[in-house]
Amino acid sequence: MEHRSPVVRYLGTLLTYAAVVAGAVVMLVPFLWMVNASLMTPGEIQARPPVWFPAEPQFNTYARLVEVMPIFRLYGNSLFVAIATTVGVLFTSSLAGFAFAKYDFPGKNVLFVLILATMMVPFFVTLIPVFFIVRQLGWINTYQGLIVPGIISAYGIFLMRQFISTLPDELLDAARIDGASEPRIFYSILMPLVTPALATLGTFTFIASWNNFLWPLLIATDRDLHTLPLGLNALRTFAAEARNLDLLMAGTTLSVLPALILFIFLQRYFVKGIALTGVKG
Amino acid sequence: MKMARVTPAYEGPPRRFGIRWTPRRQRTFWAYVFVSLPLLGLLLFFVGPIAFGLWVSLNDWNMVTPVTQMRWRGLDNYVYLLTRDPIFPRAMANTFAFAAGGVTVNVVLGLSLALLLNQSIRFKPLWRVLYFLPVMTAPLALAVLFGFLFNRNYGLVNDFLVSLGIARQPFLSHPDQALLVIIAIAIYQYVGYYIVIYLAGLQGIPKELYDAASVDGANAWQRLGYITLPLLKPVTLFVVVTNTIGALQVFDIVFATTGGGPANRTMTVVLYMYDTAFKFSRMGRASAMAFILFLIILIITLVQLRLLRDRTRG
Repeated sequence: MEHRSPVVRYLGTLLTYAAVVAGAVVMLVPFLWMVNASLMTPGEIQARPPVWFPAEPQFNTYARLVEVMPIFRLYGNSLFVAIATTVGVLFTSSLAGFAFAKYDFPGKNVLFVLILATMMVPFFVTLIPVFFIVRQLGWINTYQGLIVPGIISAYGIFLMRQFISTLPDELLDAARIDGASEPRIFYSILMPLVTPALATLGTFTFIASWNNFLWPLLIATDRDLHTLPLGLNALRTFAAEARNLDLLMAGTTLSVLPALILFIFLQRYFVKGIALTGVKG
Repeated sequence: MKMARVTPAYEGPPRRFGIRWTPRRQRTFWAYVFVSLPLLGLLLFFVGPIAFGLWVSLNDWNMVTPVTQMRWRGLDNYVYLLTRDPIFPRAMANTFAFAAGGVTVNVVLGLSLALLLNQSIRFKPLWRVLYFLPVMTAPLALAVLFGFLFNRNYGLVNDFLVSLGIARQPFLSHPDQALLVIIAIAIYQYVGYYIVIYLAGLQGIPKELYDAASVDGANAWQRLGYITLPLLKPVTLFVVVTNTIGALQVFDIVFATTGGGPANRTMTVVLYMYDTAFKFSRMGRASAMAFILFLIILIITLVQLRLLRDRTRG
């Protein structure tokens, strides 16, 4: 082992902490400033040099916000769309993943290659045609228009197939000998075993759907169907002037907060999921 | 068949619809049932639309006239975009500058921070969460927030510049600065993703390699240069390719900060495609844009697969 004087080692540790803390401060300041500004008066926001904290927190900004931004409706829509999309993706992905991992059927390899191929297709390639299909179905300004095109995920099918492949066949065969039907094997043997993979795929799908902007922008022109990003976008155009910056920041705070809180609780699934799906190179 | 099946003596598999339902046939039947729904969705929302989009890109269409009355244009849309369109080359250049800038900075930043966080340092999970927070945030919300932070008159960034004795900058309304600001927002948003990926990569490097190198007298910089960085190459290849592909599709941030301005200096391909399709109803031209960008992304993907295969072979 090399020998370093304690002074050098102490200095190294100090620099490490300095860099990590400085970075973390940069990451946090925008969020803190967002919350602070939402509680300031417009005068305080525009004061130069800047004031860091409101003299008196203006909680009534949030009361005023509710009048211009239907925040509870937005929460409800976002939550409903994200949950429905997630449940759909989990269901279709585990069904198809199960079939591809544990069954033999004519055409299986061709179909699986098809799924791998669609995995490489970015969303913008299908955007216009899918919009057209959804419009032909009469699904503009409907929840199914927001949800149904998102409930199939080639990536999700692939991920579930990979995970299910690692489960031993003996478990399924044992259930068959006991007389279980194939659907029954799916929901009472397989589903409990794949919960870790479902948790990972589910959290990713939920967040992606929750944050999605472009698709709802095309489908939900009616304010009653707006999701959070759409509501924030509407607030952005409404509250563009300086005197409404407090409202804009209050709206931003309310749209950002749920995902952040959810993340803090579910972060181990994210970190595990990224390690699982990310480092395969 | 993995194991011999012990079947009790009985009169053979049940017959229904004129088929002898052997266990094997039953399983095949259910496999088709299981894949049918996902496959139907895949056809309706992926495979069909890709083919349809390709066809639309060869036509003039405003999405109002019936599909059967599209006007055939052959490759005209592609030729127009690549040779005569005043904005498309600009949008391509902006998109690539955005992707290259953001990914390059984040590889350096993400790797550096991961190396720091990989040391024995306290509160590791806390730092990881803090760096990862923006990854979870809606790009649209970050765009609104950073529009405020980079505001000329009451943005914090300008206050910081003033405290350093630098004049206030227009940032998002300046033709030369706007794209840089948008790149900065993307860096802020995704650096945590790079950190988590690199941390996982670092944890995959066997400790014995470092011990052996230390015994041989290698110092910290040599261990970094000869062990860590070479072994992280596949991880770097992965993050660079996936994030480049993601960055080439940028929409939300630009939409909510500049809308492509000033003077199209932040116009990106997907935003231009959106405008062309949904503001100006030129579905053919917009689809052609989509396929040009798709072709580029496909080439990047195939090069990555090739590189990965070469590595596993070599």
